[in-house]
Amino acid sequence: MIVGSQKPIDEIWEMVKDFKKILVFGCNTCVAICHAGGDKEAETIATLLRMRASQEGVDMQVDHTSVMRHCEPEYFDPVMDDVKKYDLILSTACGVGVNFLSDRTGIIPVYPGINTSFYGAVPEPGVFEELCAGCGDCILHMTGGICPIARCSKTLMNGPCGGTKEGKCEVSDEMDCAWYLIVERMKMLGTLEKLSEVLPPRDWSTSRDGGPRRVSMEHIRAYEEKEGEKTETAGGKKE
Amino acid sequence: MSDGSIKEKNKPHKEWAAELKEQRPYSPCRAACPVNTDVQAYVGLIAQGRYAEALEVIRSVNPIASVCSVICHHPCEQACRRCAVDEPLAVRHLKRFALEKAADYRRNKRRLVKQTRDKKIAIIGSGPSGLTAANDLADLGYGVTIYERHPVLGGMLSSAIPTYRLPRETLQEDIDDIIAKGVEARTNCEIGRDITMNEIIDKHDAILIAVGLSESRALNIPGADVPGVLLAIPFLEDAAFQKKIELGSKVLVIGGGNVAIDVARTAKRLGAGYVEMVCLESAEEMPAWKWEVDEAVEEDIAISHRWGPKAVRRDNGRITGLEVVKVLSVFDSNGRFSPTFDNDTTSFIEADTVIITIGQMTNLSFLEDSQVQVDERGRVVWDPETHMSSLRGVFVSGEVVTGPGSAIQAVASGHRSAMAMHVYLEGHEIEGVLPTYEKEPIAQLPGDVADVIHREPRMKVEHLPPETRCSSFMQFEFGYDEESALKEAGRCRGCGGGAVVDTDKCMACLTCQRICPYGAPLVTSVSEIRSEYCQACGLCAPECPGQAISMVSYDVGEVRSNMSSLVGSVDPKRQEPAVVALICSHHVGIKGFELPDNVRSVPIHCTSRVDIIDLLKAFECGADGVAVVRCPAGACKYKDIETRVSARVRRTKELIHMLGMDAGRIELLQAVSDDGNPYAVVCADFSEKVKQIVLRTGR
Ligand SMILES: Cc1cc2nc3c(=O)[nH]c(=O)nc-3n(C[C@H](O)[C@H](O)[C@H](O)COP(=O)(O)OP(=O)(O)OC[C@H]3O[C@@H](n4cnc5c(N)ncnc54)[C@H](O)[C@@H]3O)c2cc1C
Ligand code: SF4
Ligand code: SF4
Ligand code: SF4
Repeated sequence: MIVGSQKPIDEIWEMVKDFKKILVFGCNTCVAICHAGGDKEAETIATLLRMRASQEGVDMQVDHTSVMRHCEPEYFDPVMDDVKKYDLILSTACGVGVNFLSDRTGIIPVYPGINTSFYGAVPEPGVFEELCAGCGDCILHMTGGICPIARCSKTLMNGPCGGTKEGKCEVSDEMDCAWYLIVERMKMLGTLEKLSEVLPPRDWSTSRDGGPRRVSMEHIRAYEEKEGEKTETAGGKKE
Repeated sequence: MSDGSIKEKNKPHKEWAAELKEQRPYSPCRAACPVNTDVQAYVGLIAQGRYAEALEVIRSVNPIASVCSVICHHPCEQACRRCAVDEPLAVRHLKRFALEKAADYRRNKRRLVKQTRDKKIAIIGSGPSGLTAANDLADLGYGVTIYERHPVLGGMLSSAIPTYRLPRETLQEDIDDIIAKGVEARTNCEIGRDITMNEIIDKHDAILIAVGLSESRALNIPGADVPGVLLAIPFLEDAAFQKKIELGSKVLVIGGGNVAIDVARTAKRLGAGYVEMVCLESAEEMPAWKWEVDEAVEEDIAISHRWGPKAVRRDNGRITGLEVVKVLSVFDSNGRFSPTFDNDTTSFIEADTVIITIGQMTNLSFLEDSQVQVDERGRVVWDPETHMSSLRGVFVSGEVVTGPGSAIQAVASGHRSAMAMHVYLEGHEIEGVLPTYEKEPIAQLPGDVADVIHREPRMKVEHLPPETRCSSFMQFEFGYDEESALKEAGRCRGCGGGAVVDTDKCMACLTCQRICPYGAPLVTSVSEIRSEYCQACGLCAPECPGQAISMVSYDVGEVRSNMSSLVGSVDPKRQEPAVVALICSHHVGIKGFELPDNVRSVPIHCTSRVDIIDLLKAFECGADGVAVVRCPAGACKYKDIETRVSARVRRTKELIHMLGMDAGRIELLQAVSDDGNPYAVVCADFSEKVKQIVLRTGR
């Protein structure tokens, strides 16, 4: 899932302080799970902003709401009329949500309430770890299921480097060396000899270097068209 | 949304919770109550010192609440899930406490209900069932007249149940409520003697027969029909109406039910030196409630088990005693009453007065000339689905048709019949619309949950010592003082008042499942919180990132939306800081509610329910400082809440710090002990610290 964390209130305040009517708009999927931008955090931020406004003697209305996901239009369609009654939308969705919503609010700006960080897992409650970088050309079958792109500080394809020390990365003692983990894991899997093969340089065009990415699935799109008659959608009724 | 804002669209918590509770299994106490009193709700309100609201919950289903608070056989307690832990909750004592506390509130609320319908209703008999029907029908705007042959209203409550158990002032509170609504009472008016049934039928649009079982069964044995042998109901009536009763010094009561116990204890109070009961049943089989038997035994009443009456012996007409025969068995293999005797084993019990208490029957002679049919066994013909007799417009309710039971069962029957009459008068079909009061209860406590629940003994009430109480008809049982009542109320596990998930908002994040100390939530595609596990602590709700969890009882949302009125107006020129204290309302004891003047107390079910947003909200509403006050160490009735609550307070400190406020404005406090007033002490200390912060940093 996508992991993010709340922006400091001072930073948010600087963004929003000149608006009169603000909606803090939460997203109840990934960023809710990481306690950054779900309904609860949206309400928390709204409360903090109201308190700040009163400290500053600024007259400001701050409300909050949330929907299940900001990355699919059906989810926010049902509340869009109400959302558009605000001067500013402070979205606590991930960057995807902010972009996506911003395209649909016309003259109303959508600002980010959180910093979107990475795709991660939840090894234990309250802890989130980056495990994949979304490079678009997965090689996990060759690296024991451990991603050197996301988890090696240097994104080395043939590691480890000389900075590995007792399983830790030279960047920080807190950080596991991904290549150490890869070697140990592949030993266990009995596939260590695979590592004698040098991995070729990567074609980064599937990643960020190729420009914005888009996946279009023709078979699904065709299905969508056929089913176009359907009125029930995830977020409610389509107009 | 006329102002163009997004606000909570939800209903007020109370309405929402009431609807939700209807759809879900009931707490076992509620399901066991013949009128489904929401025990969990009112006990929880008592624990928070909200006595008037508790009274409203009780009175909404029970018009003879005061009566029940002293004499109810409390099936709720027998069903209480706490039985699996230690002892059931003392529901009846708590009810009495709430009613006594809210007495003035209740009296001030008595109002005439405007008659809005032109239909006239007659109710024959003023026992619990007739009174209930009168109450409900008056509420609906009908003109109601009660006809009662006795000089006072109340049925068995006023004419038979002895005052040492049910003081008449207690009964009067209930009657006053009902009469205040505009119900007309015609006492000393016996139908069939003073007015004929046909006259009643002519004059009213609907009639309710609620005449109960007002006569005692006699015993067909030699010697049982001449002076010196009394029947239970006339005996109790005479005692109730303070008529002179000739009793010998050795009284023998035949029977082993609750009425027999009342007869024996009454005889004792009337001065009989020696009172003995003789019954067919063994101690275990006796139909009387165990606690009543115990109280009788305390009063030195002897009980001879497993003897059947054979003949009353006399000498020159004067009773010498009762000849009895050994009982072999009381019930047949199907559990039906069918006693067998060993005729060769007999005995003799000395006595000079014998009182027969072997059951009651009804007297329906007043129906003789009417078209209301009575069957060959002397029972009024009726349809239990509609409460209607064979004559349209004439209804029946209470023990006259249900047979002997309890007062609250008669109330249930009264509610049903009132509803039936209303539906009939409105011209609709009655079948299928009457409340059944049969609800599925939440399952018993799973063993692993029962194991981790804190043992807390039930708070006892005092009784007058047997030596004193037998010399008068004074009420022998005392009520709780506030301290004990609050303690006892805190023992309730809030069954059915716990967490529910709004599945539209749940994103299956697992937080609740991870956090619940009792393993209640089970997260699959959404979370399902299993009510039999949930202990209503509320720890999960403030953690849910989707705010998908609400608590059925006293939701945290309720605190949040009421916060500004709770904080009230804050004087801009205040000397003392405005401090909001969210206090654990369990175990606080009454003293816990007495805080310094500048501290606004917000009683909450448990500090585990406090949300970061609630704390911020208190600041937003103008508080200078906010305290979360836990009960003393070891007193918390829940498991493992400490870490989460302190984490939330720490997080709130961080957040207010980000706003430039001193983090010391919020603290998690803990009362030092239950004695004295530790809540006030810790709050005063905290208030002083906040004062210093305000002096240093400004508001
Ligand atoms: C001694 C005793 C102790 C009890 N103790 C308890 C207890 O501790 N807890 C508990 O829950 N229940 C107890 N009960 C049971 C409880 O009292 C009954 O369940 C309840 O009173 C039944 O209510 P009812 O309305 O059906 O009839 P009743 O209470 O019997 O009322 C019927 C009324 O109709 C009147 N009436 C009859 N015929 C006529 C007529 N022709 N014209 C006018 N009026 C008429 C009668 O005078 C009476 O007032 C006890 C009962 C007795 C007898
Ligand atoms: S613990 Fe409370 S809610 Fe549960 S059954 Fe007992 S009285 Fe009812
Ligand atoms: S904490 Fe809330 S969102 Fe997460 S699983 Fe439980 S109910 Fe669902
Ligand atoms: S945390 Fe408490 S309120 Fe929530 S499900 Fe568990 S027992 Fe119930």
